[in-house]
This record gives sequence, C-alpha cells and structure tokens, in this order.
Amino acid sequence: MPRELSILGVLIPTILPVFLGCLLLQGVLDRVLSHVGVYRRLWHPALARLCLLVCIVGGATAWLYQ
Amino acid sequence: MAQGSTTSSDLPAWLAAQLRGWAASDGERLIFVARSAFAAFLALWIAFRLGLDSPGTAMTTTFILALPSSGMVLEKAFYRLLGTVVGCGAALLLIALFPQQAPVLLVGLALWVGLCTAGAAMHRNQQSYSFVLAGYTACMIAVPALEHPAGVFAAAVTRTTEVALGVIVAAVVHDVLFPRAHGRQVRRTVQARYDSFLAFCRQVLAGRLTPAQAELAHLRFAADIAALESGRAAAFFETGARGHTRQLHAFNGAFMTALTTFYTLHRLLHRADAASPVPALRVFLDAPLHALLAGSLEELPAALAPAAGTARAALAARTDLTRGAAIDAETAIELAERFALHLAAFDAIYRGLAQDKRQQVSEPQAYAPKTPPGIVLASGARAAFALLAAATLWYWLAWGQLATSLVMTTVFCALASSSPRPTAMVRQVMTGFLIATPLTFATEFLLVIRASDFPMLVLAAVPLFALALWLMTDPKRAGIGIGMAMFSSQFVAPVNLMHYDAVGMANGMLAQIAGVLLAWVIFAVLLPEHTMGNREHVRAALWREAAHACRRRLGDGKRLRHRFDNRVRDLLSQLNAAAGPTPPAPTRAVVREGLTLLELGHAVIDLRLLLAASMGGPVRNALQAALARLADYLRAPVAGANGAAVAALLDAGGAIRAALATGQCEPDRAARLRTALVDLHAIYTSLLDQAADTLDPTGAHHAA
Repeated sequence: MPRELSILGVLIPTILPVFLGCLLLQGVLDRVLSHVGVYRRLWHPALARLCLLVCIVGGATAWLYQ
Repeated sequence: MAQGSTTSSDLPAWLAAQLRGWAASDGERLIFVARSAFAAFLALWIAFRLGLDSPGTAMTTTFILALPSSGMVLEKAFYRLLGTVVGCGAALLLIALFPQQAPVLLVGLALWVGLCTAGAAMHRNQQSYSFVLAGYTACMIAVPALEHPAGVFAAAVTRTTEVALGVIVAAVVHDVLFPRAHGRQVRRTVQARYDSFLAFCRQVLAGRLTPAQAELAHLRFAADIAALESGRAAAFFETGARGHTRQLHAFNGAFMTALTTFYTLHRLLHRADAASPVPALRVFLDAPLHALLAGSLEELPAALAPAAGTARAALAARTDLTRGAAIDAETAIELAERFALHLAAFDAIYRGLAQDKRQQVSEPQAYAPKTPPGIVLASGARAAFALLAAATLWYWLAWGQLATSLVMTTVFCALASSSPRPTAMVRQVMTGFLIATPLTFATEFLLVIRASDFPMLVLAAVPLFALALWLMTDPKRAGIGIGMAMFSSQFVAPVNLMHYDAVGMANGMLAQIAGVLLAWVIFAVLLPEHTMGNREHVRAALWREAAHACRRRLGDGKRLRHRFDNRVRDLLSQLNAAAGPTPPAPTRAVVREGLTLLELGHAVIDLRLLLAASMGGPVRNALQAALARLADYLRAPVAGANGAAVAALLDAGGAIRAALATGQCEPDRAARLRTALVDLHAIYTSLLDQAADTLDPTGAHHAA
C-alpha cells in the first residue's frame, strides 16, 4: 500500500480513509452489540467500545502494511 | 470501653458517608477538572509530537468540549468536526472565487456567516453548533488569507487537523476516564417527570393548586420536554443507549397529549360556576381517578367506565339543567375518560422504559425545536452586520491585529445568538477574558518561560487552566470559566519554535478583547428585542400556530396534532428559558394565552376531522363557516373578528341542535354530532376567555 493517496492532486495519508472505514465498521458493530445487549454486561462499556475500535484500526493497518 | 468500640465501628461508616457526600458534590467537579486538564495536555503533547503548526487550537478544542457528561462531549465533538469541515470548504470556495478582492470577499463572507447564524438560531440544539462553526471557521480561515491567498489551503488543512485531534482526544478521554453517563441521567429525568406529573395531577384534582401555580407548572413541563429531547440526543452517542430513541420520543409525545387533555379537564372543572352540575360530577369522577392515580394506571380506563356511566345516568335524570350546563357536564365526563386513556398510554410507555423492555412503539414522532422566523432573520442579519462593521473598522484604522478582533466578533455574535440573554452571556465571557489577561501574562512570562521540558510546562500552566475549569463547573460562572479557558489556552500554549514576544502578545490580547466588546455593543444596540424567547415574538408565533391548525393539510390528523402540540410546547419552553426561575406577570399572561390557544387548536383539529368524515348539509355548511371565521380571527385577533367567530359558532351550534332535534339521524351520526357540539363548546369558551377584557360575554347565549 502507498503511504499517501493522491485524490485530485491532493495528497492524503492512506491511513485516513482506512480510519474512516474502520469507524464505519465499528459503528455497525456497535449497533449490533448494543442491540444484543452485550454492553449491559460489561463493567466499562465505553472502554470496551474504544478497545474495539483500536483493535479494528490496528488489525486493518497491520493487514494492509504487512 | 464500650463507648470506644462504638466509635471505632461508627468511624468507617461516618467516613464512607462523608466520602459519598464529597464524591457527589465537589468530587464530581474535581474529577471533571482533572479529566479536562488531562485531555488538554494530552492533545497538546500529541500536537507537539506530530509537529503541528499551532498546537494551541487542539488544546482550545478540548476546553470547548469540556462538558459534564460523556454523551454531551461526544455529541458536541461530532458536530464540531462536521462544522469545521464545512466551514473550511466554504472558506476555500470563497477565496477561490474572489482571490485578493477584499471587499467582495468580505461581503461574501458576511452573507455566509449570516446564513449560518440564522441556521443556528433556527435549530437550537447541538446541530446549531455545527452551523455556528461552519460560519466562523470560514471567517477564521479566509480573513488571514486575504494577505497570503496562497497559504489558504495549508491553513484550512492545519485547522481541520488540529480540531480533529482535539476532538478525538477529548472524546476518548471524556468517554473512558471516569465517565459520567448521560443515559443514566436521562433515565432519572424520565422517572422524575413521571413522578412530578402524577403529583401535579393529584394536587390539581384535590384543588390544592391555584391557577397561577398550575400555569407555572405547565411552563416548567414545557421546559422539561425540551430538556428530555436534548438529553436523549446527547445520550444517543453513548454505548448502548441507542435503542431507547423511539421509546423516548413516544414518551414525550404521550406526555404532551396527556398534559393537554388534563389541562382542558382542569380548566373546565375550575371554570364551572355555582349553577353548573360539574362540581356534583366530581364525586363520581374524582374519587376513582384519585384512587387509581395512587395505584395502577393500566386499569384506569376500565375502572373509570362504570363511574362515567353512573355520572351520565345521573345527568340524564336531572331536568333542571340549562342546555349549557348539561353540555359542560357531558364534556367533563368525556374529557375524564379521554384523560384516563391518555394517562394509561403514558404509563405503559413509562413502564417499558423503566424496566428496560423493548416494546414496539407505533411511529412516534420526534420533538423538533423551532424558533420564530423573526428571531432567526434578526440573528442572521446581526451576525452579517457585525462582520461588516468589524471589517470596516479594520480597513479604516489599518491596525493589523484587528483581523483577530473581526474573527472574535463573528465568533461571539454567532455563539450568543442562540442564547436567550446574549448580552449577559457575552458579558460573562468578557469578564473571563479580562480576568485571564493578567493571569495569562504572569503564567507566560514568570512560569512557562522557565519550563525546560513538557512536564515542567504542564506544571507551569496547570494552575491557570484548573482555575478556569473549576469555574466552568459552577453553573452561575460557567461563562467566565469558558472565556478564561479559551483566552488563556490560545496564548499560553507554546508553538513548536518557542519565542516570547510580550508586545505581540499584548497586541493580540487587546485585539481579542476589542472583538468581544464589539460583539457586546452589537447585541446591545442592534435589534436588542429580537432574542430567543422574546415574549412578543413567542406570542405572535403562538397565534400563528393556532391559525395553522385551522388551515394546514389535515391527513389523518395525527401528524398535524403532534406538530401543533410540539410547536406550542416548544414556544413555551423558549419563553421559560428567557424568563428565568420567576417569570414576571406579562410572561405568565402569554403562558395563559398559549395554553388557551393549545386547547382551542386541539378542538379545531377535532372538528376538522369530523368535518372531513361527514356528508354535506346545513350542519356541514354552518361548521365550515364557523371554522372560516375562526381562522380569520386567529390570523388577525381583534375584538370584531372575535365577535364574528362567536356568532358563527352559535349558528353552527344551533344547526347541530336542530339536526339532533329532528331525531332522524342514525346513531353514529348522532354521536359524531354530539362530539362536534362538545368541540364547539370548547372553542366557544376559549374564545370567551380571550375576549374577557374586550367583549362582554354576558350577552351571548350558550353556544350549544
């Protein structure tokens, strides 16, 4: 993967669209998890949500830049 | 010895109680201060590490997002990011259209800012913050770019990056570090509302509230409805609070319906004079209502049915009643039944929410705040004018720093325009600026100048920020705290290549203060009456809404009814926000007017629904004529129109009675006619209430 993407001549770090995509994915997962009721069983739901996002972004970048 | 042992066992309990008390009051505030300061320095540190151009922006963003609960922070963070991106786009577009043509560019900028501020005034929730930001971010980017148009893209990218950094840091820190969940608060609000509504009903039915107290209660309920909606919107961003959106909308909707019905019932009970049979009915209706309000509400409609039957039978047995009194009593019985139904629906939704049960709610409609157009236009015009005035000053005085003033004026004109008391808000922020000036100077040139690394910098700057954050936790001084934090974070936060320029800093400070001062002058001078929740504007808007209820497309009536209810409550909540804790007598008069109009509008919608379902004939013609006169009166409320409307209502009542007297109509048509009669009666009495000071109601016959 290139480190920077050129969109209409503007250089954008590749990680930015990746991050936005991960945010979307996390949003979908978040909906599913809260619908199932997983968050109600956790001690710190917000922390779990953040860790989930970190895992998704980390996994995506590791996979793209391996 | 025994005494010693009890003290030793009491001590932990005493300590625990003390700790709990502390945690609920000052502890909460201290945690907030620590959390916000941590977010600010974390953002600053990351900005340094990434080598961003002005790390102060990231830090200022975290202060702006320092709000008590995590849901509120996440909501504001989202809208701040959105507004910044849109504002940067607008700035780039404006610069690309008019490069190096300052007058045209400034006019374009004024138009954009005016548009955005008007949008902000229209929405009044956190979405309005997006509009505010879209306006002033464009100004922040475009004004410095007048001298170096080539750098505008870099400026826009820097601004977006730094705001995004601040937003992400603030959101993560406030959401994860000892968060205060807004969802729990919303649940508490729901519980408190349910309890206070039942208490209100009980007190009114027991006759323990004066009309003035009841009006104040209605005003407070209107504010509660708006507050619950904004709380719901904030909690939406938290984990696991999303499923309740529909239920909370339904809760607000059911509450408004029950409250309206109860108001009508209450007014009828209160208005009834000595000759009326309504007081006698209270024996039949009050007792079961009262007993059931204390117990289970689900069975209320079923349990009330026999009492209503008894009351109807007793009414039919009485032959000494005038026709008006009989209608009064019949209306009271019907309203009591309707109220029982609405209360049961409200109770069911509340139980679903309280037990965290997922229930199917049929298409609840959202509560949507909206501002009267006069105020919206005035805020837009004021913001545009402020920008042009500041730009003119900048050109004439040729003081380079005035560009900063221009930006500050725009920022505060936009921010304060959605506040009910803008001058007070701007004054508070200015106080914060003035207090922060010497403190910032001292911090910068006595402490920060000696800091050799980041921990030292934190140590040097933290007292000032902690003071500002502590002030932000005090609701009465929040504005001062925000002003201090915004001001000092811009000047204390060092840039990557540190240089200490006392003269430059003093110039910058003066320019910022001048900008806020200009914003204050503009609010005080330009259309000072056109502010949020102004009594006269709200009053005019209430009449307009009632006139709309006569004319808007009807459909199945539900949408129109909800919309009408929503608007009237929203206007009342604006009134409440502007009036403060003890509304003066003129405000209470507007509240009374609003409540009467609410009742009138609902009766009109009922009547229109009946009309839509009925066939032609003299009754229909008479009713249509009455509605037309009524719409005329609501559009132009003068005594003559009121008289015409009352006369038309009397005609319609007469026509319906004639139709009923023939005895030839089938049962369901007769029932519809009777309902129409009840509605006409409600409208008639509302009109008489309004005309009490201009017309003489004694000469009129009873409508029905």
